Amino acid sequence: MRRYDLITPEGTKDYLFEECARKRMVENRTRSIFKSMGYTRVITPGLEFLDVFSQNAHYFPPEELCKLTDNKGRLMAVRPDSTMPIARVAATRLKDAPLPLRLYYTQPVYRFTPSLKGRSTEVNQTGIELLGSASEMADIEVISAALSVLSSVGQDVPEPFSVHYSLELGDVRIFRELMHRLNASPAQKEEIYALIESKNYPALNDMLDRIGKNPLTQALRKLPTLFGGEEVFEKASEVFRDARIQEILDSLQELYHTVCALMKGGTVLVDLGLVNRTDYYTGLVIKGYLEGCGEEVISGGRYDTLLSEFGYDIPAVGMAVNVDAVANVIGRKYTPHPAPADVLIAAEKGCEALAVQKAEMLRAEGLCCEHMLGMDDPVEFAKSRGIPKVILMNADTVTEVMVGE
Amino acid sequence: MNKPLRIALTKGRLEKDTVALLERLGYDCTAVHEKGRRLILPIPDANLEVVLAKAADVITYVEHGVCDMGVVGKDTLMEMNGKLFELVNLGFGKCKFALATKKDYPFYDGFGVKTIASKYPNVTRAFFENKGMDVDIVKIEGSVELAPLLGLADGIVDIVETGTTLKENGLEVVEDVCQISARLIVNTVSLKMRQREIEQLVTKIEEMITV
Repeated sequence: MRRYDLITPEGTKDYLFEECARKRMVENRTRSIFKSMGYTRVITPGLEFLDVFSQNAHYFPPEELCKLTDNKGRLMAVRPDSTMPIARVAATRLKDAPLPLRLYYTQPVYRFTPSLKGRSTEVNQTGIELLGSASEMADIEVISAALSVLSSVGQDVPEPFSVHYSLELGDVRIFRELMHRLNASPAQKEEIYALIESKNYPALNDMLDRIGKNPLTQALRKLPTLFGGEEVFEKASEVFRDARIQEILDSLQELYHTVCALMKGGTVLVDLGLVNRTDYYTGLVIKGYLEGCGEEVISGGRYDTLLSEFGYDIPAVGMAVNVDAVANVIGRKYTPHPAPADVLIAAEKGCEALAVQKAEMLRAEGLCCEHMLGMDDPVEFAKSRGIPKVILMNADTVTEVMVGE
Repeated sequence: MNKPLRIALTKGRLEKDTVALLERLGYDCTAVHEKGRRLILPIPDANLEVVLAKAADVITYVEHGVCDMGVVGKDTLMEMNGKLFELVNLGFGKCKFALATKKDYPFYDGFGVKTIASKYPNVTRAFFENKGMDVDIVKIEGSVELAPLLGLADGIVDIVETGTTLKENGLEVVEDVCQISARLIVNTVSLKMRQREIEQLVTKIEEMITV
């Protein structure tokens, strides 16, 4: 029988030393940002009933979900996302809590990815959910958290460096509004969705030509090309010429100005072609990019209908940080080395209790203290590990030896 | 000057067609012509760096963002289904996907589940799924025409250019699946982070291929 007891499943890995340290660095920094903004941590279970992730308005492609059954044969999923479980908690145990609720999480999500593509099944995420407010200030608060995370990348290492970053804004309502008015079959609409999401201009144009040439299809044609800086808003007004869409554009432009004022060193982008096919966003969407990372490191937006699917009709906005992606970007410039202990204590037989007490005293002073195990020469051992100081203990004496080079 | 934009080209004919296109735009591609065995080559006056790779790898490199752009056939894009932007239909490298069988073979007759041989199992699956038809798919690595001739499959889904290989082996096209040509693909983050440079190049290319 072939046994798989020495390897980890594809898409997962062990985090050792420097990888672990970088991941913790990102988590600690994001955590302190979120805490200082008044967010409280929640931990949701790794396993949930499948139904949590297969509501009407949002769903996960079944091939991406890691599924198993409980002891009653009910289908469960290993958490593929943290927002839906948090929506579930908010709609149940937190239903009577005063609003707004500010919650954050730091936990992995699991999604199967196509085999051998170099993608991870297990992705460590940290993120915030601001529940119970539809105000613009709530959007701005979440965006400002995203900006703090992006601008902090590379700042926690001994020799800080900065990484160019961009924050992108969009609003899925523009697309939804256009699609709502479009006279096309659900299959055609699904295809248009995919083509706009992949900015597949040639195929989109062909598709829309088949449906017919009118102002609406012209607008849909232009939608994925409307990305960049502030010039996008002017172009968009010309393309859409519609009061309702103009209203959405105006509020997005106002938000754009606010974000520009908040920006320190990064770039603000707009993409009206962000349509987020498979998730639960209902308005504002944001993405964060870091130079040197081929996928977005932050993803978020407003999801005003998700909680109502769990029976609690409140608006919400949030965002998630891909901790692994950020840690990888830091890893290009910074490899932490595990520091050696400050002191090695070597005790003769019979003095073990004394040695432990001594070590505890030194640790209380903030030193890192290791015990010598076994019979080797303690000074030689300390030298080989880079430990600067050895304390030799027997029943009568305590001798300190500084380890020379 | 910014660090060069990296563009991955599918080795072979698409590479030659793309280099010819870049030369028509006035860029000096000497390094690519004199590449020897090197795989990464500069086009300094376009601030480009050309990476030569196999078709499927072009998609992988662009998807991961280690190359900003790529030129690859729609056939491989359909088979791989990556998360990237497909900005331009370059127009060259034209051919089609087609379903072919032995001449006069009654492919759609009867109630048995048909067996299809293909180098492109995902394309094949999607094609028959759209028809609501269950088929058995056998992945074949080369000379797919053999499978129906040897009796392993009822038909094949493959790339057809002129149809000569099919004809010489007594096969014929039953149905076209879709048209194929080379595409310019762009990494989703690169397009945003280096929008101006990429758009400049894309505009030039579009102007050139529409004349």
